[in-house]
Amino acid sequence: MPGMTSDSGDHSTSVVPISPNPQPTTYPLNHGLKPPIARLSISWARGNTLRVTVLRQPQPSAANGEEEAGGKVLEVKLSDNRDGEIDDAQWRRIAYGSVTPFALLQSRKNSTSTLSKISALDSTEWWQYIMEYSREINSLLGNPKTSPSLAIEDQKTVLKDVQKPTCFKAAWELMEIFYADQHSQAWIPERLLDWLADYDCLFSGTQPTVHSELVNFQKELVTRQAVEDHPKYWEAISSTLAIGWLEIGVKLLRLHGSYDFDQLGSRETENGLVEAVAVLISKMPRLRADLGADKLGECYKNKPDFVKAWEKWQAQITKLDCSAFWLQCEHHQTRDGLKNILQTMLGNSTSLSNATFHWMELYIAHFLYIRPFTAGLESMYNLAQKCMQIKPVSGHHKLIGLLIGILGENPEVVLAECSKSFGSWMMAHAAELLAAGNIQAEMLLQKEQFQLGGICIEELNRLVYAQVLSSHALTWQIAPIYLSSCMKQGMGLLETVLSKQALQHDQVLLKSIEICRLYELGTVSSNLMKITAVHDWKHGKKGSGVFWLQQARDEVRLNRIAKHLFDFVGKSLSDGSFKQWEGLIELLGPESGIAGGLEFLNKYREFRRSLQQVHSGTATDAAQRAAEALISLMKNPSTPQRFWLPILHDSLKLFNWAGRPLLNVSQTNVLLNKLQELSMARLRPDFVNADLPPEALNSVRLAIATNLGRAILEE
Amino acid sequence: MEETLLTLDQDTTCTAWNYSGQRLAAGSINGTLAIYDSKDPASSSFTCTSRFKVQETSILKIVWVPPEFGDAVACICSDGSYSLWEEVVEDADILQWKLCKRFDRNSSRVLDVQFGVFATCLKLVAAYSDGQVKIFDLLDPLDLINWQLQAEFQNVIESTSKFGRPSCLSAAMCWNPQRGELQQSSFVLGFNSDILQLNSSKVWEFDQDHQRWLPVAELALPEDKGDQVFAVEWAPNIGRPYEVIAVATCKGISMWHVGSNHDPNGRLSVERVALLSGHNGEVWQMEWDMSGMTLATTGSDGVVKLWQSNLNGVWHEQALFEPTS
Repeated sequence: MPGMTSDSGDHSTSVVPISPNPQPTTYPLNHGLKPPIARLSISWARGNTLRVTVLRQPQPSAANGEEEAGGKVLEVKLSDNRDGEIDDAQWRRIAYGSVTPFALLQSRKNSTSTLSKISALDSTEWWQYIMEYSREINSLLGNPKTSPSLAIEDQKTVLKDVQKPTCFKAAWELMEIFYADQHSQAWIPERLLDWLADYDCLFSGTQPTVHSELVNFQKELVTRQAVEDHPKYWEAISSTLAIGWLEIGVKLLRLHGSYDFDQLGSRETENGLVEAVAVLISKMPRLRADLGADKLGECYKNKPDFVKAWEKWQAQITKLDCSAFWLQCEHHQTRDGLKNILQTMLGNSTSLSNATFHWMELYIAHFLYIRPFTAGLESMYNLAQKCMQIKPVSGHHKLIGLLIGILGENPEVVLAECSKSFGSWMMAHAAELLAAGNIQAEMLLQKEQFQLGGICIEELNRLVYAQVLSSHALTWQIAPIYLSSCMKQGMGLLETVLSKQALQHDQVLLKSIEICRLYELGTVSSNLMKITAVHDWKHGKKGSGVFWLQQARDEVRLNRIAKHLFDFVGKSLSDGSFKQWEGLIELLGPESGIAGGLEFLNKYREFRRSLQQVHSGTATDAAQRAAEALISLMKNPSTPQRFWLPILHDSLKLFNWAGRPLLNVSQTNVLLNKLQELSMARLRPDFVNADLPPEALNSVRLAIATNLGRAILEE
Repeated sequence: MEETLLTLDQDTTCTAWNYSGQRLAAGSINGTLAIYDSKDPASSSFTCTSRFKVQETSILKIVWVPPEFGDAVACICSDGSYSLWEEVVEDADILQWKLCKRFDRNSSRVLDVQFGVFATCLKLVAAYSDGQVKIFDLLDPLDLINWQLQAEFQNVIESTSKFGRPSCLSAAMCWNPQRGELQQSSFVLGFNSDILQLNSSKVWEFDQDHQRWLPVAELALPEDKGDQVFAVEWAPNIGRPYEVIAVATCKGISMWHVGSNHDPNGRLSVERVALLSGHNGEVWQMEWDMSGMTLATTGSDGVVKLWQSNLNGVWHEQALFEPTS
């Protein structure tokens, strides 16, 4: 399932087919071959990587003998929408980092779902889990704080240079505010304000924002004397105040010339007014849980207190606005600027509209100064619509799309925006927030879709993400974590992922087998081993081949190999051909019992070895061992009948051992019975005649009979 | 977005990737086969590791043998024969590609071959220009030399009707990619021929009880049964309760849902869920992605298209890739 690469512009290229019927996007494939092109051929590689072979029409050889390329093979990664915001290495860091929080949340989910219904107590605990998850993922997406905070070090630096935040982080935080953070529900406007403070710069691309204006102003500030003479100075203050960046507003105010030592005497009233406004700003009541240490304003946690404080504060502003001191202020830019600031603070809609650029900024200004008590998504949504009308934007911004979906309480839009703009990682991980915070969304995510083969969207998201992960050699190993959380099709896809691994590389093979073991995919695992075994067997690594066949318990192939080795059994002791297989049989080890034939070969090898020692010496101990090996071999049902006679013929020396009979009566009887059986079998048509002299059977019989006689005497 | 993995020899006629996408086999007009390999799984640089002559005539198509039977390919040549070649290291540790088996042309040309694995058995199905289908079993799983003809039939529903001398231009075949222990062996087959009854795609299934191949489904509407079939592709099924098969005919690309239970007549239920406009002509190739949710196709209009279904089950063209020089 593809999500398209980033250069898709505004086209819908949703990974999850949620959008109704998108127009196909056309992408060029640059191959650089000279026409005519005769044929294309396609093949899916790992994950959702598509390989396209472009072949030229075969040409009669060029006159100058110069060979031209006959074709190109191109690889197209249909990975994800990351807009180049996050590079590949960073992206893999995020992918690896999100595994643990995701897996932890899933296991917590599973353990709570076993308790029939989440009780009230569990529910608070549950929200903690969600927040913990959200925070951990959030921390992967970038630095914790990037807000336009006050720079103390340099009094003329208003905005700190910070790394530009990513839309990913902004989107994640937006969803955290609305879906995951239960504590923020009472003061969503203030949370949005903080959010905009962090991410206002992301809106600057296509149009001015307070942030971009402030950045421009700061450049001028360094060179300016008597900033208060410039209208831009006052505009900047109004703008920062309008969207609640009080610290910056106050800092700017205090750059006012009347604070200079040499000015204090002559501009006392003016300075008094500036300071009065600065103090009012810093005492602004805020309806929120807490404020950072370096933040201005006064916090109120409950509404009645806040309302009282708010009214009092407004009264103070009005009082200042009507004060007689204004008449004594001779610097008219200061007077007008301060008056305008007071209007902003009093919620004058014209002032607010003038002070802001993007509708999001106007929206925040409305929350701060016009409708500080706004609550509920519906009224927030209506207000957003109104602000958008006042300050229309051209083009679609992905964060705005997401925000509108959230405010409009339309989980389908949220999902579609996530999918379209942020790709599969976001879909797989943000679905947890969505499902936690919105019943409608939860139902949408978990409803089984017949058209998807009975899986739900939540599962689809994870499958898609796992497929993206498996596109890369460095991330495929984490795909199983996500697939194991897919009830219906996860294991199916995991099997496919595993079956496409390049097993010639040991690390890949071992990792794959390990994954099979973890998820109890025995058949897959044995298939991987078979592939390795056959490859090794056919590439001159016979021992390794047999080892993997044994691991795979592949009796069919092992028996084929055993049959092959049988050809060397019974060949004369001096024949060297058995030697070359000896090592292999040795490798099979005593536990090679899985295929009967190999067990026989192993015993046969033992027998041959001890017999060899007997031939080279006269030690009775060695002969005794050889005799035992012989009995064990003959008693074993896996010893094929066609080898009985050759084995016995090899053992003639043992039967005629000079010192004493090596076999007792019952052992000798076993051998005689085998001979009897063999005589009977000779009559059957399918009997295979051993490659031995014709008198072999008789000489063996005679030798065993002699041994029997001696054994009886001995006993 | 796109990256060039490798540049092919002059006069290359066809290519095929192996199961892991780490090896590419490329055939040429003079019967040479080139093998390209990448050293490690993370790298995307490929080098030619072997080059050898398969036949004196042009290679039309290359099909890799399933990996548990070795690193081997089947090459279909323009003289109508096909042969199996395998990479082995024998004495003296020299890596070489060895001819395992040559299936010579007799009265008819081979059009396509495909390999299927069932339980531990490797099957090869070959379709010929006279409309015959032959299925071979590999006798020794460690050796690609000995093949036994298991069945031979024509792609028709009524086995009683025989068609004298059809002339087929091409055949499209695909095994069911699932290979569980309990899976019946089955494949889908369609022809591009002058005998209408042969053309329509049929799903063939091996009947274990009677040891014969039976047509269990026909993937064509009654009025479309004579349409020439250009390509068929059976989608991987990672858990759907039904199978999905894409069939490309002269009318476009259709998506078929095939049920999994046999009716009393032994047939599977089929439903055409979409007919897509395709490639304004012949469809050369179709490939499902690993999840069986996206179909990539290419055809005589010289572009690559991706197709997906939305939540309402509506199939649509999702993206188009247009080669440019």
